Amino acid sequence: MQYKSQAVAKPYFIAAIGLFVGQILFGLILGLQYVIGDFLFPAIPFNVARMVHTNLLIVWLLFGFMGGAYYMIPEESETELFSPKLALAMFWIFLVAGALTIVGYLTVPYAALAEMTGNNLIETMGREFLEQPLPTKLGIVVVALAFLFNITMTVLKGKKTSISLVLLIGLWGLAVFFLFSFYNPVNVVLDKFFWWWTVHLWVEGVWELILGSFLAFVLIKTTGVDREVIEKWLYVIVTLTLITGIIGTGHHYFWIGTPEYWQWWGSIFSALEPIPFFAMTVFAFNMVNRRRREHPNKAAVLWALGTGVMAFLGAGVWGFLHTLAPVNYYTHGTQITAAHGHMAFYGAYAMVNLMMISYAMPLLRGRAANSNKSQVLEMWAFWLMTVAMVFITLFLTAAGILQVWLQRASDAPLPFMVAQDKIALFYWMREWAGVFFLIGLVIYIVSFFVGGEEKQAV
Amino acid sequence: MISEEDFGVREEIPGQGLAIAAEALFLLNLLALPGLAFAILAGLWFRFRHDAPPLARQHLRQAFVVSLWGGVLIVVCSAGILLAGGLHEQWTWVVLILYFTCIHSTLILLGMVALVKAMGGQGWRFPVIGPKLDCQP
Repeated sequence: MQYKSQAVAKPYFIAAIGLFVGQILFGLILGLQYVIGDFLFPAIPFNVARMVHTNLLIVWLLFGFMGGAYYMIPEESETELFSPKLALAMFWIFLVAGALTIVGYLTVPYAALAEMTGNNLIETMGREFLEQPLPTKLGIVVVALAFLFNITMTVLKGKKTSISLVLLIGLWGLAVFFLFSFYNPVNVVLDKFFWWWTVHLWVEGVWELILGSFLAFVLIKTTGVDREVIEKWLYVIVTLTLITGIIGTGHHYFWIGTPEYWQWWGSIFSALEPIPFFAMTVFAFNMVNRRRREHPNKAAVLWALGTGVMAFLGAGVWGFLHTLAPVNYYTHGTQITAAHGHMAFYGAYAMVNLMMISYAMPLLRGRAANSNKSQVLEMWAFWLMTVAMVFITLFLTAAGILQVWLQRASDAPLPFMVAQDKIALFYWMREWAGVFFLIGLVIYIVSFFVGGEEKQAV
Repeated sequence: MISEEDFGVREEIPGQGLAIAAEALFLLNLLALPGLAFAILAGLWFRFRHDAPPLARQHLRQAFVVSLWGGVLIVVCSAGILLAGGLHEQWTWVVLILYFTCIHSTLILLGMVALVKAMGGQGWRFPVIGPKLDCQP
């Protein structure tokens, strides 16, 4: 750790991992509710478990992004963080607000929660992924603004590198597009149209910039390849991301009441969306192949390579699978979407956060890398979680194909719940894969507490 | 002015440009221009198979032979699944789509590694279906 203020990243990383555990536990509850419908009912109904599962995902990824930025920016800017105290204050505010929101979801009926939290003032609740009550949404804005102020001021007073500027654009974009979560037109078409400006332009737009900059930072540190080479790759990736991702939003506009031309725009541009992920994978492998040093933190390098591959598969390949309008006509909202969502989120954003944590945590704890024993355990966790996610995706894809056949493509389509019964086998298999994922996650956490001979920080 | 060096391509080893072209065509054949990219790759292989530098020869051979294998694995096996299972059987589509997606993605990922090796001026053998290396670059 080169700058004292980088230490503020540590609580963010710890919180991120804690919330990640919560997300996976609720994922397992949900998975079981798919096959045992009244499991934990009425204590945790399906809609609540789903909301907690997806909201925890978003919040832990945001914690990871913030922690990663607080770690990376001082080192890139070659100066201490503008205000470590502000960063710590925002950490506690965000954590408490997040925890209260989850407690609210679990203890108060959603409609009552909406009433209690002033949803009648600005109606923002009740929409997938953006279910947070108004005070939480406002809290997110306050935390995001304070965070961006802190990070931007640090960059302004220090050195400006391409990597930190790309990260800043990504983070500002994240904050700006979140503002659309406050815009909830009565017209359902317009509602959906702008809802995607938060959801899609986050995950297939500005978050990719955050991913690219984190990846570039860790690859510079672990491979010793010239910054100029890595930055030029980053420019290409950013360009490809924005060219394909922005108009690619159109792949969500099929048959929701938007003009028909979106079927063409959405199909063409989103078909190009795998290209930045392709470039990212070639980039990561190329840099590791050209490395000028053997960094002692092998686990971080493994996460870096893994995020390229899994993001390409999950976001690129599985996204392409159902992105063309004629295909999406049948697959829209089926388990194929769930398969894509699981692998894309894990491959692109969970893994890049785990990569950052893997690289930064040993340094935050005063060593260049963890002991071999700890790294071996972490690599086991990597493979268990990654292979489990591959199987989750494959089982959900199989379920989705069958669902499309039974419920959509058939001459005598079955009702939704009848089709669900017929694909239950795949839900069971997905649940078991989920158990293995949890085992991987537990091993990952254990790896933090394993001793052995540590590599000294240089 | 952006040069190849900027993206991590070294021009130190003879035949590196051709090696990169071979692996890029392998990927293009899978991703964007099936058939056409293979025709160009085959043309390069027949034109340079005797007199190209060892690195280029090796990548051309790998890319050409694995493209043929890829054709068998993707087209022939998929057609086999379709014929064996029947067009109107639900399980045919479950198996076919999963098989196609997995095999196609695997070939692309291996192609990416091959491209990176070519960019680094190193030899590469595709696992299992790649022909044995007969010359070291």
